[in-house]
Amino acid sequence: MSMGRFLLRRLLQGVFVIWGVVTVVFLLRFVTPGDPITFIAPLDAPPEVRQNIARELGLNKPLYVQYGEYLFNLVQGDMGYSYINSTPARQRIFNRLPATLELAVAASIVAVVISIPLGVISATRRHEPADYAATTFSLVGISTPNFWLGIMLVLVLAVGLGLFPTSRRAIGFLPAIEMLLTDLDPGGLVTWLWHITLPAITLGTYFTALITRLTRSGMLDELGKTYVRASRAKGLPETLVRYKHVLRNTLIPVITVLGLQLGTLIGGAVITEAVFNWPGLGTLVINAINDRDWVLIQGSLVVIGAGFVIVNIAVDAMYAYINPQVRSE
Amino acid sequence: MISELLSKLFGGVWETVRGGVSPRTARNLRKEFRNSLLAKLGVVLVVAAILVAAFAPVLAPHDPTTQNLDGSSLPPLGFSKETTQTSSEMVNGSIEVVNETVYVEADPNHPLGTDSLGRDMLSRAIYGARTSLMVGFLGTAIAALVGVTVGLAAGYYGGRVDDALMRSADVMLAFPSLVLAVALVGLFGKVSIPVPDPLVALGVESGMPDSFVLPGTVILVVGLVNWVWFARVARGEALSIQSEEYVKAARSVGASDGFIIRKHVLPNSVTPILVLATIQIAAIILLESSLSFLGFSGTTLSWGFDIAQGRDYLATSWWISTIPGIAIVLTVIGINLVGDWLRDALDPGIEGEGGGP
Repeated sequence: MSMGRFLLRRLLQGVFVIWGVVTVVFLLRFVTPGDPITFIAPLDAPPEVRQNIARELGLNKPLYVQYGEYLFNLVQGDMGYSYINSTPARQRIFNRLPATLELAVAASIVAVVISIPLGVISATRRHEPADYAATTFSLVGISTPNFWLGIMLVLVLAVGLGLFPTSRRAIGFLPAIEMLLTDLDPGGLVTWLWHITLPAITLGTYFTALITRLTRSGMLDELGKTYVRASRAKGLPETLVRYKHVLRNTLIPVITVLGLQLGTLIGGAVITEAVFNWPGLGTLVINAINDRDWVLIQGSLVVIGAGFVIVNIAVDAMYAYINPQVRSE
Repeated sequence: MISELLSKLFGGVWETVRGGVSPRTARNLRKEFRNSLLAKLGVVLVVAAILVAAFAPVLAPHDPTTQNLDGSSLPPLGFSKETTQTSSEMVNGSIEVVNETVYVEADPNHPLGTDSLGRDMLSRAIYGARTSLMVGFLGTAIAALVGVTVGLAAGYYGGRVDDALMRSADVMLAFPSLVLAVALVGLFGKVSIPVPDPLVALGVESGMPDSFVLPGTVILVVGLVNWVWFARVARGEALSIQSEEYVKAARSVGASDGFIIRKHVLPNSVTPILVLATIQIAAIILLESSLSFLGFSGTTLSWGFDIAQGRDYLATSWWISTIPGIAIVLTVIGINLVGDWLRDALDPGIEGEGGGP
C-alpha cells in the first residue's frame, strides 16, 4: 500500500473515532444523574422559569434533535455558550489551549532529549554504574505520582531555594517570541522559560523514565540479534552498527508506545496544571465539571479526544514512514 | 496450603490462573526470583504494604481521624519547626505587639508528626495503604473482567464483532484515563461505602474507626477507564490461539464457543494478562492518588488527599505532603519490581502496554 493510501485510510478511521468521541461526550449528559437546569436556575425558581431556561437552551427537545443540532453546530465550529456565564465555549477553550500545548510539548522535548541517550548509554554499558543509575532513575520515575513530584520540586526549588516561581504562567510562548522579534527583548522568553521549567519537569519525568526503560530493553533485544553479529563480522564500525541499525530498530516500538501513552501525557497535563495553577485546558475541565457547565465540559472533552486522535494519526504516519512493513498490513 | 486457601477464596479464577501457568513457567519464575535482588525487594515491599493495610488498626498508634488542635503541625522526630508567635503585652500603659520566635519540637507520640488538624501522620499513612491497595486490586479486577471478556470475544469471533469492539476501544483510548475518571466521578457523584473493620469488630483493637470507607465510584470508574488495555492484550492472544490446531480439533468434535474460550483460549492467555494486571495495579494506584489529590474521591483517608492538604502548609510544615508521597512511591516501586520480575520470567511481549497515571 502506498503511503498516500495508508494515510487516507487512517484519516477515515480517525474521523469515525472522533465521531464516536463526540457521541460519547454528548450522551454523557443524559446518563449522569442531575438536571443541568438545577445548576443554572435559583433554588427557589418556579417551574415556569425552569421551563423557560430549558426552552432557551434547547433542552426540552427530543434527544435525537438535540444530538443532530449538536453535531450540526460542532461541524461548523460552534460549541455553544457556557451555561455559567454565556461566553462562547470555543473561545474559552482555544484561549486555554496554548498553555496546555506549551506544557505538553516542553515536557515531550525534555523527555525525548534525556531519555533516548540515557537508554542507549544504559544498554551499551550494561551492569556498569551508568546503567544502574539510569535504571534506578527510570524505576523511581515511573513509580512517582507526578503531582507529588511537582509539589516536592516547589518545596525544594521554589519555596526552599527560591530559584523558580511556585506557580502561574506569566507570559505565553507566542507573546514572548513576539517580544523578542519586535522589541529585541529576550526578557519575555526568559520569564516564560523560568515559569515553565518546573511544570515541564513535573510532566516530563514519567515519560523520560518510561522511554529510557523502553529504549534500554529494546536496544538490548536488538543487540542480541544475528544481524548485529553479521554487521560486526563484516567489519562495520561499532558506532554505525549501534546508531544506524540497532537504534533505528529500537525506536520503532518506542514510537508505538509513545502514541499509546499520549493520553497519559494529556492526563498528566491536567494534574500538573492543577499543581502549578497553570491556566490550561485541564483546570478549565475540572472547573467546568464542578460547575456542571455542560457546554464547556463537552467542548473541552471533544477537543481533548479529537486532539488525541489527530496526534495519533501523525504518530502512525511517522511510524509507517520509518517501518514500511506497517503499510502492508 | 496458600494455593488451597486461594482456590477456596477465588475458585474458578484461581484455577484458571494456575492452569495457565505451566510447570516450565513456574520454574522460570523461581529461577528469575532467585537470581534477582530487585525481584526480592519488590516482593518484600508489596508484602509489607499488604500487611500494613490488613493490620492497619493494630499497627496505627492513633485513630487517623482524631483531631487535636493543640498538637497540630508537629514535625516528625529529628526535626523541629520554627514559628513566630504573636502576643500583645501591656508595656507602660500601652499595648505592644511582641513577635517571638518559638521552636516546636517533635513529639515521640507522633513519630512522623501531625497534620494541620493535629491528626497523626503515621496512622494516616498506614490507613492510606488500605485505600490505595483496595482501589488498586478491585479496580484492576473490574478492568480485567470487562477487558478480558471483550478482548477474548473480539479476538475469537473476529470480523464484525471484532471491528465493533475494537473501534469502541479506540474511542475509549481517545480519552486520557485521568480526564475520563475525573469527569465520571465528578458527574456521577462520590459514593462512599463504609465496610466494618473486622479487627475492630472482633475487639482485637479498640479506639480505631470501626468502619473503613471504600470509595465506590472511584473503584468502578478506574476499572471502567482501564479495561481497554486488557481488551487489547486479550484480543491479541485470542486471535493467535483461535487458529491453533487444538482449537480446530475441539471445534470439529462439536465443542461450543463458550467451552473453547473458557477451556482453551483463556488458560493460554493467562500469562500476559497476569503481567498486565500487575502493571495495572500500579497505574490504578497512581490514578487513585491523582483523583484524591484533585478532590474526586469518596474517602478522606487517602495518600493523595493528604498530599493535597499539605500543599497549603508547604512553607511551614513540609512533612504533611512529603510523607504520604513517599508511601505511594515505595508501594508503586514494589509493584513495578514484581511486574518486572514476572515480565522477565514469562516474557509475554507486552512492553509498554497499560497506561500511566
